[in-house]
Amino acid sequence: MTASPLAAHQATLGYGRNVISEDLTVDIPEGEFTVIMGPNACGKSTLLKALARMLKPSTGSVLLDGKDIHSQPTRAVARRLGLLPQSPIAPDGITVADLVARGRYPHQGILRQWSAEDERVVAEAMAATDIGDLANRGVDELSGGQRQRVWIAMVLAQQTPLLLLDEPTTYLDITHQIEVLDLCAKLHREGRTLVAVLHDLNQAARYATHLIAMRGGAVVAEGAPADIVTAETVQRVFDLPCRIIDDPESGTPLVIPSASARV
Amino acid sequence: MSTVSTPLLERATVLRVGGLSIRLRHRVVAAVLGSLAALIALAMWSAATGSTSLGLERVWYALIGQGAKGDEFILWTLRLPRLATGLAVGACMGLAGALFQNLTRNPLGSPDLLGLTQGATTGALIAIIVTGSSLQVTTVLAAVGSLATGLLIWALTRGGDPSGYRLILVGIGVSAILAGVNGYLLTRTTIIDAFRAVYWLTGDLSGRDFGQAALVGLILAAGAAVIAALSRGLDSLRLGEATATGLGVRVDATRVAALVTASVLTAGAVAVAGPLAFVALAAPHIAARLTGSSRSFLCSALVGALIVTAADMIAVAGVGDRQLPTGVVTGVVGGAYLIWLLIAHRKKGVLS
Repeated sequence: MTASPLAAHQATLGYGRNVISEDLTVDIPEGEFTVIMGPNACGKSTLLKALARMLKPSTGSVLLDGKDIHSQPTRAVARRLGLLPQSPIAPDGITVADLVARGRYPHQGILRQWSAEDERVVAEAMAATDIGDLANRGVDELSGGQRQRVWIAMVLAQQTPLLLLDEPTTYLDITHQIEVLDLCAKLHREGRTLVAVLHDLNQAARYATHLIAMRGGAVVAEGAPADIVTAETVQRVFDLPCRIIDDPESGTPLVIPSASARV
Repeated sequence: MSTVSTPLLERATVLRVGGLSIRLRHRVVAAVLGSLAALIALAMWSAATGSTSLGLERVWYALIGQGAKGDEFILWTLRLPRLATGLAVGACMGLAGALFQNLTRNPLGSPDLLGLTQGATTGALIAIIVTGSSLQVTTVLAAVGSLATGLLIWALTRGGDPSGYRLILVGIGVSAILAGVNGYLLTRTTIIDAFRAVYWLTGDLSGRDFGQAALVGLILAAGAAVIAALSRGLDSLRLGEATATGLGVRVDATRVAALVTASVLTAGAVAVAGPLAFVALAAPHIAARLTGSSRSFLCSALVGALIVTAADMIAVAGVGDRQLPTGVVTGVVGGAYLIWLLIAHRKKGVLS
């Protein structure tokens, strides 16, 4: 197996005395679009928080490029690893360009506030997410889908080879969900390693190149969607009787819940 | 050196020298220069007027040591120490308020709400009532009370959910307990000591000397230096703890440093001037209105100094022929501002 850029190694994760995962080992494969999925409270967001160094394992470790992530300077980590959290806060009245520019923080300093490089990277990030026209609009005037693209642009401006996204499609309508996921797929094709937590099993199966299914804080199945999205795995992970057919659009597995299951 | 107006970030100019670059937001620069000009004008006016009107010309001659003996006494002994103390105290409170609003991400986050003011009061009441001591001891105990409250809040909030909400709830709890203690202390004393205590509680700048001004000035300088180092991280924290962590901000360290700095600034200001009500709350709000979506600690400090100087001028002019304690004026003006703020925000439908 190739060396993983980001991994949890025998980690115990939790909040105070409330342990979510014990002895959890997960390797994020380089260059893949990894989606972590599972039922509510399965520990998927906790795992993402740990990978993003927001949560320190009480035992075990999270390794970035083979070294403990908490022993590395946080700004150096921020140049390797970008994070889009679940509910980021846009300050009142901030403009799109201003918010995207915040992504340059780990590359700046008190006397290096806005280099030509910053300007170029921010413009590129906005072009990549198709928000160039919105540069001087207020973030609070935008639709949910546009706003999410602005946040993704901010993370892109960080110029990190690794991107973590915590439920990037939550609160969006279906059109904007697909828009955001298509954008993620594009970022993956351009060579970035993506890790996302997603709720929708079918979207996960369609967009992920590597799936991690969790339940009760442990990894239940892991691998390419075509290999692991089976009726048996879905039953095991979600307690949901279902049939699997080929998605007529993408050819990826499509989960159809059984009609009798809900009677 | 080159000056670039960036095509991307509207309304900003970038100064570049070699590898260094400074971003100047036009609106922030205008707000800072505007409040600085207003502050200088107000300070000159304050020095020139009062129970004896000197006028700018006599102030100038007294300032350079060529004025009449009486003028020099009025200026150097009565007015300038009081003015300097007011400026430094106001700036400290403006900075402390801006820090607390940033930390709690709440428009009501201030040393008054979080109990630091009550802590200072407890210290002062112990000095006045229990030990019956001088203004100097009162000053020291008030500072200790405020600092101890800040540390207590930090100890109670650490380790848990790092959101500003928790900080506010813990602060309100601590504040309520201290208010009870203060009430108890006031009931256990003579009417004379109680009057002295209430006078201190109102907050006043009369009779302050250069020693006190220098003390607050020193605290202000130290606080400003720490804030300059923290300000970029604090600005990123406005996007939420998670985003700030992702951007590489040392969130916990930044928050602790900000809380300690805000406590020290509050302690210094309150110890010397008493708890001048609402300055720490109103200054960052007015500054935010001037700077727009960006925040500027410098602007908040200038506005704080402006409020205290203006309030003190009103206090000196007084009602009828009696001067007022400065805290009465800041309380009335600040309270009115707060009510206006709540009404304005209710119309807008959000508190941010």
